[in-house]
Amino acid sequence: MRGPVGRIVATIILTVGLCLAGADHTPALAQSSGAPVELRVAWWGSQDRHNRTIKAIELFQKKYPNIKVTYEFAGWGDYWTKMTTQAAGRNLPDVMQQDYAYIGEWTSRGLIAPLDDYVKSGTIDVRDVPEALLKGGVVNGKLVAVNLGANSQCWLLDIDAFKKAGVELPAPNWTWADFEKTALALHGKLGGWGMGSGIWENQIWGALYLSAGQWRYTADGSKIGYESDKPLVDHFNMLLRLQKAGAMTPRADELASFNMDTSVELAPVVSRKAAMAYFWSNQVVAVWKAAGGDERNFVLHPLPRVAGGKSANFIKPSQFFSVTTQAKQPKEAAMFIDFITNSIEANEVLLAERGVPISSKVQKALLPLLGRSQAEMFAYLDRVSKDVQPIPPPDPPGHVDIVKNVYNPQVVDPVAYGKLEPDKAAALLRQEANAILAKAKR
Amino acid sequence: MSRAPATTIPGEELLGSGAHAEHLASRRARARARNLAGYAFIAPWLIGFFGFTLLPMMASLYLAFTDYDILTTPRWVGLENFHRMFTQDRRYLQSVSVTLFYVAIAVPLRLAFALALAMLLNTQRRGMSVYRAAYYAPSIVAGSVAVALMWRQIFGREGVVNAVLALLGVAPVSWLGHPDFAIWTLIALAVWQFGSPMLIFLAGLRQIPAEVYEAASIDGAGPWGRFFRITLPLLSPVTFFNLVMQTITGFMVFTQAFIVTGGGPMDTTLFYALYLYRRAFESFQMGYASAMAWVLLLAVALCTALLFKTSGRWVFYEAKEGR
Repeated sequence: MRGPVGRIVATIILTVGLCLAGADHTPALAQSSGAPVELRVAWWGSQDRHNRTIKAIELFQKKYPNIKVTYEFAGWGDYWTKMTTQAAGRNLPDVMQQDYAYIGEWTSRGLIAPLDDYVKSGTIDVRDVPEALLKGGVVNGKLVAVNLGANSQCWLLDIDAFKKAGVELPAPNWTWADFEKTALALHGKLGGWGMGSGIWENQIWGALYLSAGQWRYTADGSKIGYESDKPLVDHFNMLLRLQKAGAMTPRADELASFNMDTSVELAPVVSRKAAMAYFWSNQVVAVWKAAGGDERNFVLHPLPRVAGGKSANFIKPSQFFSVTTQAKQPKEAAMFIDFITNSIEANEVLLAERGVPISSKVQKALLPLLGRSQAEMFAYLDRVSKDVQPIPPPDPPGHVDIVKNVYNPQVVDPVAYGKLEPDKAAALLRQEANAILAKAKR
Repeated sequence: MSRAPATTIPGEELLGSGAHAEHLASRRARARARNLAGYAFIAPWLIGFFGFTLLPMMASLYLAFTDYDILTTPRWVGLENFHRMFTQDRRYLQSVSVTLFYVAIAVPLRLAFALALAMLLNTQRRGMSVYRAAYYAPSIVAGSVAVALMWRQIFGREGVVNAVLALLGVAPVSWLGHPDFAIWTLIALAVWQFGSPMLIFLAGLRQIPAEVYEAASIDGAGPWGRFFRITLPLLSPVTFFNLVMQTITGFMVFTQAFIVTGGGPMDTTLFYALYLYRRAFESFQMGYASAMAWVLLLAVALCTALLFKTSGRWVFYEAKEGR
């Protein structure tokens, strides 16, 4: 290519290349403790979480004046789009928030660094953390993620509505049959919905089989892990009965009003249209606040069990902080994780918004500061942990695909709208899920 | 091409003196500098076109034949993505049928609505320019997230529509959650976004000479006769343009469903572009999504070609008439 065109093209390429090269080769700052260092941290969450986390980061910077933290945050969906794109561009932050559903897949792709050396050297101090609360972050025998808070699923019960209806609060080991009776009784006395949002959630599918002593996937994640579709079919049939009786929020209303985004403010239990709802325990703080705070009386209750089954609950790490393999400052990243885990000052700001802190010292220090909703969350985790199942293995690669492309659109919706028989839906789920898992495994 | 100006200098070969050669060289240099300046000025467009349009398109063509999840390197799978699309993916076929339904209903309705309003706004009344601006205004904001959010409020369970129905004694309906109604709320939104075709219709209407109407009136043509025999035929090139443009945008509809219904309930509003986005950026199946994008491109091209083919029968150009 000669002549002006060639020259211009060459100039453009060189200029652009130079810019890119410049961006790529930002001089790695020295690792010694005194020299200024830049640390990148990323997380997902609500506005409340962003504010709290930013305040905690400011405390971290005050303690380590040489570390400058830059941060990025987003909602759940955008966060994973963003992180995946950054991973492809080899531009992941030093510290990233991780989730139990993703940690296995990300570690197997070599994107998450093991932390065992930092624990051994004391950079990450876990002396006050019970072994069980770290286990969720162990993949292939290595600690790759530090739990930011303990969490469990729950039924949120509106005590005032139960009192008004004259319905007794259920026993902790209640079954799905008890649940159905309770929902119908509440509806009969109050006229509104007994059960509000959340019951079609795919987590309940897992809980059904966990309670029956099985799990929805096999241990190696290669296929559906249960022999009989019956628990799921029975469950769908019960939901259809409740929906028909008017004792439960119809799927159409759920989709139209409050299930499309994650804004818990619109849940029927908030506006007293329903007396019960399904949530993760750390969500309850926001729900309670939206419902009117201290003027409302709620109690957190374990999940119903299948007849003759075991507890359907397990303690889950609500989310983790991990150090990525693309981190430029892995040591400072580990120091940051240690700070979030052990600093009482930081946790006074974070205030268990990500779930009950894992350090027993931090827990004790927070107790006097808790509002009613947080106190109830702490108390519930204490109650429920006396009878829980061990945490099931992380969801296999392909799980997210199954939920988004099969479970919600092809199973739950057609069943809820009466367009597909529950037994056919359960069979379809098995068939499609097996196909996706086999492909993901390949 | 770049040397063309230099070689056209007259008598270049005949004059060989040193002074002239110098003169020639300087002219060439000047021409080159001129071209250089030209290229420099269009450089932003060139960079944009090659870097952000052509390159990604070529990349997506390659990816369409691979299995690519962003994090690992693409794996060549040949035609598997296309095969899966048409034989195994029921949601894909659902998205195709939803999109075709939407295009077939929403585009004609929007055009009809736009034409009706354009005719109203073409009459001579006081303050007509204010009305024109007012009716065009929604289309400036219509594609936006804000309008989609507003639509959710209007058709929400506690929205305006249900409030009005309640006054009439009708029980509230979950417009956005009902599989039979949800798509119609989006069609209503599409019809309401009539601004740009209306503007083009209005311009077309003003081109039709008033004398033609006068002559027809004298010959006893009523308003309907005038509309069907004069307005529609003389407007047909404009209608054709609008139809093609609106059909193309109809196939690419995304924002509305993404925000108002999220593709639900029961995938009844799962538009093609929305499903493509979901596969690409939520399930991270970039190969499959790229294949979908190329099928969409071909389908839109085919559809446009068909429209052009039929246009000979119903589009009248004045030049042809005068032949």
